[in-house]
Amino acid sequence: MADDTSIIGKARPRIDGPAKVTGAARYPSDEPAPGAVWAFLVTSAIARGKVKSFDLDEAKAVPGVLDILTHWNVGGDAKPPAPTSKGKPTTTLESDRIWHDGQIIAVVVAETYEAAREAANRVHVDYDEEKPSATFGSPGAQEEKREPGDHEDPKIGDPEKAFGAAPVKIDQRYETPTQHHNPMELFTTTCFWQGDKLTIYEPSQFVYGLKNNVAKQLGIDPAKVTVVSRFTGGAFGSKGGTTARTAWIAVAARRLKRPVKLVATRDQGFTIATYRAETRHRLRLGADANGRLTALIHEGWELTSRPSQYNVSGTESTARIYACPNVETAVNLVHADRNTPGFMRAPPDTPYMFPLESAMDELAYALKMDPVELRRLNDAPKDPINGLPWSSRSLMKCYDAAAERFGWKQRNPVPGAMRDGDWKIGWGCATAAYPSNIAPCGATVRLDGDKASIGLAGQDLGTGAYTVIAMTAAQALKLPVENVSVELGHTDLPAASLAAGSSHTASICHAVAAACDKVNAKRAQGETGVIEETAANVPNGLPDSAMDKINHGQMAISRGFGRKDCTAYAFGAHFIEVRVHGRTGEIRTPRMVSAFASGTIINPLTAYSQYMGGMIWGISAALFEKTEIDLRAARYTNDNLADYLIPVNADAPEIDVLLVPEEDNAVNPMGIKGIGEIGIVGVNAAVANAVFHATGRRIRRLPIRIEDMV
Amino acid sequence: MTESIRFILNGELREVSGLPPSMTLLQYLRERAHLTGTKEGCAEGDCGACTVAIGRLNNGKVDYQSINACIAFLPTLDGREVVTVEHLKSKTGQLNPVQDAMVKCHGSQCGFCTPGFVMALSTLMHNCKDAKDDDIQDAIAGNLCRCTGYRPILDAARLANKSKDRELPSDVNALEKIQRKKMFAYEAGGAKFFAPVTGEELVEVYAQYPNATMLAGGTDVGLWVTKFHMDLPVIIYTGNVEGLRSIRETAEGLEIGAAVSYTDAFEALAAYDGSMLDMFKRFASVHIRNAGTVGGNIANGSPIGDGPPPLIALNAKLVLRSKAGARTLNLEDFFLAYKKQDRKQGEIVEKIIVPKKPAGVQFRVYKISKRFDQDISAVCGAFAADIQNGKVVEARIAFGGMAGTPKRATHAENALKGQPWNEATLQKAVAALDKDYAPMTDMRASAKYRADVARNLLKRFFIETTEPDVETQVYRYAE
Repeated sequence: MADDTSIIGKARPRIDGPAKVTGAARYPSDEPAPGAVWAFLVTSAIARGKVKSFDLDEAKAVPGVLDILTHWNVGGDAKPPAPTSKGKPTTTLESDRIWHDGQIIAVVVAETYEAAREAANRVHVDYDEEKPSATFGSPGAQEEKREPGDHEDPKIGDPEKAFGAAPVKIDQRYETPTQHHNPMELFTTTCFWQGDKLTIYEPSQFVYGLKNNVAKQLGIDPAKVTVVSRFTGGAFGSKGGTTARTAWIAVAARRLKRPVKLVATRDQGFTIATYRAETRHRLRLGADANGRLTALIHEGWELTSRPSQYNVSGTESTARIYACPNVETAVNLVHADRNTPGFMRAPPDTPYMFPLESAMDELAYALKMDPVELRRLNDAPKDPINGLPWSSRSLMKCYDAAAERFGWKQRNPVPGAMRDGDWKIGWGCATAAYPSNIAPCGATVRLDGDKASIGLAGQDLGTGAYTVIAMTAAQALKLPVENVSVELGHTDLPAASLAAGSSHTASICHAVAAACDKVNAKRAQGETGVIEETAANVPNGLPDSAMDKINHGQMAISRGFGRKDCTAYAFGAHFIEVRVHGRTGEIRTPRMVSAFASGTIINPLTAYSQYMGGMIWGISAALFEKTEIDLRAARYTNDNLADYLIPVNADAPEIDVLLVPEEDNAVNPMGIKGIGEIGIVGVNAAVANAVFHATGRRIRRLPIRIEDMV
Repeated sequence: MTESIRFILNGELREVSGLPPSMTLLQYLRERAHLTGTKEGCAEGDCGACTVAIGRLNNGKVDYQSINACIAFLPTLDGREVVTVEHLKSKTGQLNPVQDAMVKCHGSQCGFCTPGFVMALSTLMHNCKDAKDDDIQDAIAGNLCRCTGYRPILDAARLANKSKDRELPSDVNALEKIQRKKMFAYEAGGAKFFAPVTGEELVEVYAQYPNATMLAGGTDVGLWVTKFHMDLPVIIYTGNVEGLRSIRETAEGLEIGAAVSYTDAFEALAAYDGSMLDMFKRFASVHIRNAGTVGGNIANGSPIGDGPPPLIALNAKLVLRSKAGARTLNLEDFFLAYKKQDRKQGEIVEKIIVPKKPAGVQFRVYKISKRFDQDISAVCGAFAADIQNGKVVEARIAFGGMAGTPKRATHAENALKGQPWNEATLQKAVAALDKDYAPMTDMRASAKYRADVARNLLKRFFIETTEPDVETQVYRYAE
């Protein structure tokens, strides 16, 4: 028997590990679908215009071809998926309209994968082509101020005046690139019908969302749709929203009365799902002679598709990280002929903290101050925008812990002063912060003697959800973890919210604890035999009806900012060493130390991995990852894993992750702040700051290229 | 005429017919054999999620190598053994040492890349009784993980390396029964596949099908199918031709058969000149090196292949053979223009001859790429100079990534020849490089960057050959 303190907070290998190392873990495309036939997508070769006509004769002649879906024959069979933001979605087979390069324009279905692929290659398309706009600055790209609604523009004091009067000023422009998630698992969908009931196997961060959205698209009762995603092979935001492909595979399966299976190719994944849009920023910081911030003005520009208003508006975070009496922010959208962007690991904070944390470093140099001390001086005792207390804030504790481990004291601040042979050494630091979010969630607990099984429609994206659920239940039910089994990723189970925004562990663990409480209450009443209880947890500040929204596949979330009682963020500090080669300009990152304080850590082992994975994403975002765009064709050119560079083992530095203990009684009852995204936030700036320290070159456009160094 | 494809899959004989010759092993495993542990992540040999071990009979034992199943055409497995992640557990259900360590060290997060890492490391453990850290790093250089940051996987490999029980299960007898003495001919749905076993059969069948696609390791041709959706009506596979698979030391030098894998060729070339080792490790992943061949990397004529520049600098000759006989040419003369080679109808690349390196010749090859491993070079430069008494007697310089073909820097060479090996000569040679190359800008590097790097690499060669104590090596793996 376990006691109360023996499980939560103790490192434990993941319970799904054995299934993963033996190949037994079933990802959606691994689910058996007897009699399945294959779909292959045909995507547009132009970025703007119309499909004038198809010549399908040659494709239909390929042996084994069963059906070819185009706007001609299925255009009215499905509506576009609901967008995740204001504005409208781009369309696919609903019409002849082409919104972006790589848009789905036909779906070929054949007896074998090879036949479907060959036939897809033999679909000939005649286009009415118009000149596309690719990105910022392209002729025809339309800029507009973001509509109010999804996000706010924090503002206090008189920033323009304060900036004008500031004795020390930073006024710079920054750019972050287009990036694609590239989870290792591809975008797959298998659909089959049993009578009027539809089953979908698809990797997802939100099976209830997918179920309800697809039902709506097809005009059928959501109760007739089942979605299964037991394991998801990485998502990082890319599998959060419903994409166009799913409904068309369902339509194909209905037409053929057979299961239809799609495994979209890696390059198609760049255009049939979402991505992190490129951003631009103007950031102005004003400070007094001692380094105290007097003005912060942050204006952002984000790229999106023609019809969508999707934006991430990271100014909601950058406005409140530091104590500053005069703050103003604004976000603008630029529409081009591109697919609609979407969530990607720390969607707002990764691009928006780059300018802030770069500018803080620039300000430290302008003031001849240590960058850590500049942050200490401007550490915010409360939320500077609304004056609410922090649920807890351990930013400087993180700085101090990581600085000591890193050996920051030995740093000679003069750029270029530290060398090792041909290598110029640079040390940089930056702040990490991420709002602590939590969503409504349901869970079922079934206790049978000394064995318990837990079920909820949440997701383990690799984060360790299976394991933290088992740990939470084992602790509450006083059972060994080995006696708890967990089922996730199936819409027959109680609903859980979108596994995103670093909210999932907080959301699911509170629901599991609530269900366990009900079981324990029955036990206390003397009930024996099998006890099964279902409970839902609705976070403080949300109405009870919020759980209905989740059941209907909609979003409901209590965010770290915008609460009435406090503002809740997890904080961290990054320190990184870069080495820039004096002759070739090669940049290496031999070591990194980061410290984080994220409230209660259920499983330090999985938490450590989440932080570390995030940090490596950050290095990658700073030095490698950029989706290159052909400006004439508005087309992604490096849409494969040979040319879209994600880090390999040799790129990963020696990494130290420090978990700074933090007890937070205000954020939520279990004190969980979320850890999946904070690891990446600010790393890009820490790298750029280190590169400046090594070389004296301030790079304000990511990724930092070898050309920037020679 | 068609025979069935025979191979051993996880201990069982499989006889396959009726499937297209360009079906990949990955598709077969997942969709026909229902072994879904092997994953698809890229379908082009970049990510390693589909890594499997391939066993090949060699003098009464089985040699195992890891390869990417996503670009291996099924008929190339004829006569081989395939081991997937499902076959690693013991008969009593125990995890193998790598699997066990991956669980304990938390080497798996989303788990999608995990079977590939497990197979790469299990193959290493089988082949290497005491793997060094460098061996481990090398074994997984072709496996991408988007979650873990790799450190827990390295920890797992180090832990597994302590285990004694690390053999892959093999069955020599079963493999012996499916070896062929004559050419394997396979046909399905009108598409043909030939795997000759002798040089005579090879030139004969090529003469019969002069438009056939020559297939060696499939690390390029595989992508023609998976990425460019090309139809390959006739494929001739060189991987079973005994004569093309040998490496010989002759009076002339090192003879490398065209179908020798890069793994094997590198071993011989590294013995020939140790300075190639660093580049070899970064040339491609182990899985690609196990499959890819020296001949294929030359015959496909890529301007950015890392094989030709060092071979050209070493004055390698190329032997081409057809039914009419053999001809030999200087390797650099084989590359005519972008993707255009001097290969006549019916000719195959038979072997590469690397002449003995005269004493006094200094040689270096450098690869510059954005990412350390598994990345295509922005620039690859190779330098060979015969320096006698401080004077350059002979110099050969070749670059990849600087022109439409791998190309010699004749102007720079001429600036060096007969001159004292000093700073002034270096500057002249560096300046002459501008006459040799007009590189292009693409997403790997700008033209200016390429030109700068080419100049700097020549300088680096000068420093390394004149001041050997100066540290110029690319930053090593984190210890």
